[in-house]
Amino acid sequence: MTADPLPPGTRARLAGLRLVTRRASGAGGIGLHASRSRGAGLEFAQYRPYEPGDEPRQIDWKLYARADRFFVREAERESPVALWTLVDATASMAQADARAPDWTRWAAARAMAAALGELALAGGDRFGWVVLAQEGLELAQPAAGVRQRDRLRRELAALRGAGRFPAPDRLAPVFERIAARDLVVMLSDFFDPAAVATATRLADAGREVVAIQLLTVAERDFDFAGGHRFRDPETGEELLGDADALRADYLARFADARAALTAEWEAHGVRHATYVLDEPLDAPLRRLFA
Amino acid sequence: MTAALLLPAGLAVLAAVAIPLLVHLARRTQAVPTDFAALRWLRQRPRPRQRPRFDEWPLLVARLLLVALLALFFARPVLIGEAQPRAIVAAVPGADTRGLGERAVWLAPGFPPVTDPAPAGYVPVASLLRELDATLPPGARLTVRVPATIEGADAERPVLSRAVDWQVVTGRMAPPRATTPVAVRLAVRDGGVAGAAYLRAAAVALGHRDAGSAAAPLPHAGALAWFVPGAVPDKVRDFAARGNVVLLPVTASLPGAETVWRDRLGASVAEGTAVGRGRMLRFVRPLVPAALPALVEPDFPDRLAEAIAPPRARPSRATARDLAPVIGDRAAGEGLATTDLRPWLALAVALLFLAERWLATRRRRAVTP
Repeated sequence: MTADPLPPGTRARLAGLRLVTRRASGAGGIGLHASRSRGAGLEFAQYRPYEPGDEPRQIDWKLYARADRFFVREAERESPVALWTLVDATASMAQADARAPDWTRWAAARAMAAALGELALAGGDRFGWVVLAQEGLELAQPAAGVRQRDRLRRELAALRGAGRFPAPDRLAPVFERIAARDLVVMLSDFFDPAAVATATRLADAGREVVAIQLLTVAERDFDFAGGHRFRDPETGEELLGDADALRADYLARFADARAALTAEWEAHGVRHATYVLDEPLDAPLRRLFA
Repeated sequence: MTAALLLPAGLAVLAAVAIPLLVHLARRTQAVPTDFAALRWLRQRPRPRQRPRFDEWPLLVARLLLVALLALFFARPVLIGEAQPRAIVAAVPGADTRGLGERAVWLAPGFPPVTDPAPAGYVPVASLLRELDATLPPGARLTVRVPATIEGADAERPVLSRAVDWQVVTGRMAPPRATTPVAVRLAVRDGGVAGAAYLRAAAVALGHRDAGSAAAPLPHAGALAWFVPGAVPDKVRDFAARGNVVLLPVTASLPGAETVWRDRLGASVAEGTAVGRGRMLRFVRPLVPAALPALVEPDFPDRLAEAIAPPRARPSRATARDLAPVIGDRAAGEGLATTDLRPWLALAVALLFLAERWLATRRRRAVTP
């Protein structure tokens, strides 16, 4: 059993939340989300003996013909909504603040994915995930249940941020597997335009996309002092500069970039939130789903 | 009480303060890259800052202090005139020590207290008096108890920087070890140099019959007349260096030698120099009667025996009254007691070094200059 990636206290604050989709007009099955279909779900689960009060149309008449007893066919509950968590696993995700070297962006993304899994589990929704790494995607088909949550913890625990954003041809499984009306939550820093393009393309293709941008405190406040040799972990590019001299210019540019990103999210109908590493983990989820 | 430096040139070590300054100017913070994924929104400022800046002020101050203290340590700081004047009583070994306090010392090497047994053997009294006078703080009164006869005087009456209470008491010092003159055996090695026959005859007259050619083995000890032409071989030099005497003819060379033997008219007969623990003598004239009339004098063998005999011990006995020290005209400051500050400085340096290491290796540091 892998350790719980959620920070202590977060689970309690998640209790009041549930996943909300804008297009939750499920035709699929039974769940917290409103469904137009009636009766049991599609996935067969088990037969059980008839009890008084069961609807006659639920009786399996062919089995009655063979066994001369009434059996009721039961199906698994099936939610109309599948949650896909897309986790960026590039090198920039390994970045952390100097004051908390262990709480990297990747650790936050892993905890956020676990929190989303908890929300889906509480709502009876299926959930799956895709880890976007340079050498290939790690993809898990949506499923419900505690086993899926444990699998999420186990698989994400072994990963670290490394490499660059995967090439577009490697992203084909993302567009093939994610069905229409699925809820997609993408966790990334969205500094790479390819990541933004992936999210907007999914949104354009009819998926409901939620983008959670993960920022370090240094990126928000630029709280460096003195001279530093800044290095881009993905490109390896380096820049030697004095933090005090660079601060104002950087903050202005970064604010412009975030405004531009927000405008792009709005244009493509992507719900978005920003999570900075010094905030409680449930803050963006609360802004999005409460 | 004055502070002073015995070796001000040691302050040149102060130049080493440049090392920590340079280390802290090197701006190691830039040596370790900082991961920053949002680099694309950072742009190099066109004008980099010119003002030099030091990293980690506390550590820099600790290191500068450390270097400065080390420089001070090498400059050998002392405190002059720190000790208070006090009275001291010294007793010459053999003098009556009854009635002396616990603080009294023997006038012997190391100045042991008189509660210890009296040091045995020869004691250079005059030399120790000067040493004791030089190590005492100015103004300290010195009392010396001596027996009536002193063994251990030297050629000069002690001239001290203070008046000495010179108490002559009963008792007697151990006499110096008597040295009885021993006849030195003279061996002659004749290689054909003119005049060897005179030496052989003198040796026979002195009762020594060890004469032979150059090939004959050398004697174990004593004196050797090496009258063989050519350079003096190493084995003869080694023989001399073992504490023996070697006599050489006029043809040999003996650099740096001084006249040690003059004839009745005062003309030089032989010169000599020390080799190792022994001596080498060389006749400055050919051993023929025309050049060296002393050769045919009847006392030539006795003079030769004197020349090769070991030097006599100098007389060192004097009456205590005659050896009473006099006050010299030395400067008052000479011979002041000084306190060496280096042990304390070493302690301070060690403590500062520990502090520097603690500052440099504590956990809450970004980088490691």
